Amino acid sequence: MISLEVESFAHDGAAPALTDVSLSVQPGEHVVLAGASGSGKTTLVRLLAGLTGLDAGATLLGSITLGDQRLRFDGSPRDPRIDAARWSAQVAYVAQGAWGQLSMMSSTVGEEVAFGLANRGVPSAQLRLRVEEVAVALGLTPLLQRDPRRLSGGQLQRTLIAAAVVQRPRVLVLDEPFQGLDDDAVREVGAALEVLRGDGTGVVVSAPMLPLDAPRSARVLALAGGRPVFDGPLAEARSAGLDRYGIGTAGDPPTRTGVDRPAGAGPALVELRNVSFSYPDERGAPRVAGLRGIDLDVHPGEIVALRGPNGSGKSTLLQHLDGLLRAGAGSVTVEGTLIRRQPTGSFAGTVGYLFQDTDQQLFERTVLREVAYGPRVTGAGRAEAGRRAAAALAEVGLRAVEEVHPYELGFVQRRLVALASLIATGPSLWVLDEPTAGLDAPARETVAALLAAHARAGGAVVLATHDAAFADAVVHRSLWLDDGRVVREGH
Amino acid sequence: MPRRRIYNPVTELLTAALLVVLVLVVNRWEFSLGVLVLGVLPAVLFSGRARRIGLALALVTGPLLISSLLLHGLFFPEGERILLDLGIARVSVEGLVFAAVLGVRTSVFAGVLLTTAMTLDIAELLATMTHRGWNRKLVFVIGSAVGLIPHVALRGQQITRAQQARGFVVGRGPFTRLRGLLAVTTPLVIGLLVDASERNHMLEARGFSATVARTSYVPDSDTAGQRVFRRLLVLGVGLCCAVWLIVTVPG
Repeated sequence: MISLEVESFAHDGAAPALTDVSLSVQPGEHVVLAGASGSGKTTLVRLLAGLTGLDAGATLLGSITLGDQRLRFDGSPRDPRIDAARWSAQVAYVAQGAWGQLSMMSSTVGEEVAFGLANRGVPSAQLRLRVEEVAVALGLTPLLQRDPRRLSGGQLQRTLIAAAVVQRPRVLVLDEPFQGLDDDAVREVGAALEVLRGDGTGVVVSAPMLPLDAPRSARVLALAGGRPVFDGPLAEARSAGLDRYGIGTAGDPPTRTGVDRPAGAGPALVELRNVSFSYPDERGAPRVAGLRGIDLDVHPGEIVALRGPNGSGKSTLLQHLDGLLRAGAGSVTVEGTLIRRQPTGSFAGTVGYLFQDTDQQLFERTVLREVAYGPRVTGAGRAEAGRRAAAALAEVGLRAVEEVHPYELGFVQRRLVALASLIATGPSLWVLDEPTAGLDAPARETVAALLAAHARAGGAVVLATHDAAFADAVVHRSLWLDDGRVVREGH
Repeated sequence: MPRRRIYNPVTELLTAALLVVLVLVVNRWEFSLGVLVLGVLPAVLFSGRARRIGLALALVTGPLLISSLLLHGLFFPEGERILLDLGIARVSVEGLVFAAVLGVRTSVFAGVLLTTAMTLDIAELLATMTHRGWNRKLVFVIGSAVGLIPHVALRGQQITRAQQARGFVVGRGPFTRLRGLLAVTTPLVIGLLVDASERNHMLEARGFSATVARTSYVPDSDTAGQRVFRRLLVLGVGLCCAVWLIVTVPG
C-alpha cells in the first residue's frame, strides 16, 4: 500500500539521517517504528507523511510508493514534489508537539476533529456523524464543545489522533502518540486503531521503546543511527537484544535505581495539612478535580510518587509545592517556610519544578543559557551560573549541545535540558510532572540514577507518573489520587 | 448573560459596517446623535457585556475625545464667537460645536464596531462564510487572527509560570510588571514562530490546500430571509447615500 526505499536522506548539508532503510506497510498491518532518541524514526515517519523537506534543502535518494504511484528521488533539483493535499487524503499523520498541529481555526474540539474532512468537502451532516463516532471511540464526547486550546496535554493528544482517525485514511502515521496519555486513554486509542486496521488501514506508530499493548501481529522496524537494526515480529523483537541500541521495552523497570530505604529522620522537607483547592469554573467545561483534604509529609532522602488517572489532581498537587497554585484551605510548608502570598519565584532556590509539557518551559536561545537561567535569576553571578549549568548538562549527558537552540533538539533531549535547568538551580526538593513520559530507555535510566543520587545526597523528590514500572522500582512510596483525594498509600 | 442571537453574524457585521458608512455620508450631528442614542446605546446595554464594552469604549474613545476637545475647542481657526480668550488659545462656539460633532461620530464608530466585535460569534461567522463559499484562505486569516489572541495570552502565561518556577520574581509594582512583560516577549515570539512553521506543514498535511469547496462542522444558521435582507440593506443604504449626496452637495 505504501512503501519506502531510502538509500540515503540528509537534511540540508548534514550527515545522512537515514541510510538503507526499507519499509513497506500492507493494508491492515500494524508497524512499530522503534528507536532511541536520534535514531531517525521521526525523519522516517515524516517521509511517509509526504513531508520530504526537499524545498528546505533536504536530499533524498530513493523512492516512495503510495498505491500505484511511485516517486523516484535522485537528489537533483528536478526531483518530484509531493502534493500535500492529495497525499494527506490517503496518509494521515499526527506529529509530535500538539500545539503546532492545532488549526487555530476551530473554537471547539468537534470543529478541530472535523478540520481535515471539512477541507476535503465532506458534507456537513456526514461530517458531524463521523466526528461523533470517533469521539465515542476515543472517549472524547464530553470534550466536543471545549476550546481545544484549553485542553490538558493528554486530551489534546487524543483530539489530534481523533482528527487523523476520522479521515479513515489508507495509512495512519503516528509519531510517538502515547506521550502523556494515561493507561485508559492508551487503551482507548489502541482500540480505535484496531477498528481502523480491521477496515484495512495500515498503521505506523513510532515509539522510543517496544510497546506493551501493541497487537500480537505487529511488526517492528527498529532503527539505530539512521540504519535498520531489526525488522520482524514484535514477539521476536523483545528477545532480539535491542537494548544495546537503547531500545527497551515499555513496562520494564529501570536497572540503575540503587534506592535505599530513607532514614525518614529529621524534620519534614514538605508538609501539607488538610489542603483543599478548587479551580474556577470554565463555562461549558466539565468540573476539573481540585484537591480535597490532602495530608502529606516528605522527608529528606525520600522519593514519593503521585499516581492515578488523568485529571485526578496529581499536577494540581505538585503545583502547590512551589506556589504555582495556592491552597484554598489548609497549609503547605516547604523547608519550614509556610507558603502564603510570597511570589512564586521566591521558592525556586528550594523547589525545582519540571512541567509536564517541556515546550512550556524552554524559553532561552541556547541550551546553556536555558540551563543557566535559574541560577542567574536566583542570585548566582554570570560565571557561577555558567559553571553550574555546564555541570548540570554534564549530569544529563548534554554538554555537546550547549550552544544549540533548545527547539532544534529532539523531544528526549529537550526533556533532559528541562531537567538540567532544574538541577542547576540546586533545589533540595524536586517536583517532577511525568518525568519519564516519552523518554527512551537510556534517558529513563539517566533520570532514575539522578533521582536516586539526589535522594542519597539528602534531597527529596515528589513526582507524578503513569509509569508504574518506573515508580515501583525508583520511589519509596506512592500515593494514589482520585478526584482530588488520596485514596490509597503504599510502596 | 450573553444576549440572545437573532441575526446571523454576517448580517450583524454588515449592518454595523453600513451604519458606519451612513454616519460618514450623512454629515449631520443630529443624525450621528440619533444613531448613538437610539442605536448604539441600546445595543451596548442589551449586549450582555455592557461593562466590558463600556470599559473598552472608554479606553478607545476617551483619549480621542479629550484631544479633539482640546485641539478644536482651543485652536479652531474659523472660530468667530469667542467665549474665552487665552492669548494664543481661544475657546470658540464653533470650535466646541466642531469638537462635539467629531466626538459624537467617533463614539458612533467605536461603539458600533466594538459592540459588534466583542459580541460576534466567531465560530458562527466563519461557518457562515464557509457555507456561503468564501475563499478558505481568507476565512483562515480571519479565524486565526481572532483565535491568535487567546492563544498568545495562554502561551504568555505558560512562559511566565515557567520563568517564575525557575526563580523569576514578578512583584506588584508597575516597573517589575513591565520587566516581567519584557522577559516573556522574546520566548513568546520565538515560540509562536516555531509553532507557525510547524502549523504550515500540518495544515498541508490536513488537506487545507485541497481545491474542493470547504464544508463546515458548525451548522448553517444563515437563512434565505437574512440573505435577502442583507441585499436589501446594501441596496437601501446605497440609495440613501446617493440621494443624500445629490440633495446636499451644491452645484
